Amino acid sequence: MGKEKLIPLVAIAVLLIGSLSSIYVYATQIDSESIDIDGQEYSIDELFFIVGEKTIETSAEEIFTGIALDETILYVGISNPEDHDYTLIGSDGYQKTVKWENMENGVLTKERRSIFSELPKAFRVRDIVKIEVN
Amino acid sequence: MEKMKLIAGILVFGSLWGFSECIIGSVLRDYNLPAGAIMTGVFALGLMVMSRMLYRQRGMQLGMGLVAGTLRLFNPMGGCFICSAIAIMAEGVLFEILWYKISLDMHELQRPRLSASMGIVTSYCIYVGGYIVTQVLTPVLSSAGFYLQNLVFFIPQILASGLLAAILGGITLPAVLATQKLDIAMKDKLYYPITIGISLVCWLTVVANTIFILNV
Repeated sequence: MGKEKLIPLVAIAVLLIGSLSSIYVYATQIDSESIDIDGQEYSIDELFFIVGEKTIETSAEEIFTGIALDETILYVGISNPEDHDYTLIGSDGYQKTVKWENMENGVLTKERRSIFSELPKAFRVRDIVKIEVN
Repeated sequence: MEKMKLIAGILVFGSLWGFSECIIGSVLRDYNLPAGAIMTGVFALGLMVMSRMLYRQRGMQLGMGLVAGTLRLFNPMGGCFICSAIAIMAEGVLFEILWYKISLDMHELQRPRLSASMGIVTSYCIYVGGYIVTQVLTPVLSSAGFYLQNLVFFIPQILASGLLAAILGGITLPAVLATQKLDIAMKDKLYYPITIGISLVCWLTVVANTIFILNV
């Protein structure tokens, strides 16, 4: 098949993939006000009431305040927390898995966003709806 | 083509790309606009096609990606700058791969249907490809490490977000090719002062902007 036919066909396929993916993403978006932590539901206000707040400074000298992620995990009752990995999942499906030492340097903000002092901004998961303990 | 002339071309087009990513990209992010798709579909694609059109050299866009990505590293504001730098460099590589079979005079893209289609394909593929590369490499470079499941579950979101880049690419490529008719030429005497001058302005603006924001 020549380029004259192939390029428009691939373009149509690309537009179809993009459109169908958009529909899928819209349909599967999770709309939740609470956070599921290892199978237990908590509201952000509840977590802020129970877990102590802490302030961290990132490598780009930005300052963030939120509840300590490590304390949140301890409050939930995870034993041997250093033996687990933690997957933070956003309402749009974006997810990042981190280690316990990362959790020790991380906070969950009032806007349900994760911030880690020593990790790139790619680890800032927005609208967190679930924290899986692996 | 004279080697020095090509290097100066890579420097100026790469710097313009990096400058737009750092300055215009930051402004777009401040207004909560889809900066990544706009930057790829308009600026990255536009500058890479323009440089291919003017210099007719393969490999140049790879060099531009390296220059632009390096410049992005000097600007730790607006989104994940490591991710952006990696994505920009990956976009340069992917452009070279996609355009390998396209002739240097681009005669096969003269018809609007083909240029628009190629714009859609190129923009979508470099955006999605760059996004995936950065989702793999950024965690690898951090202490958290890379987990395949994180990428797999996010693939639909990446494929969806590329749609805007594709549509913009379908407009940008024919628009850039239309400028071929303008027959722009620059006097040899002015070539180096202008290319180096523009590159310097781009780099100094980005560095000054970074210093200014860090001190505020």
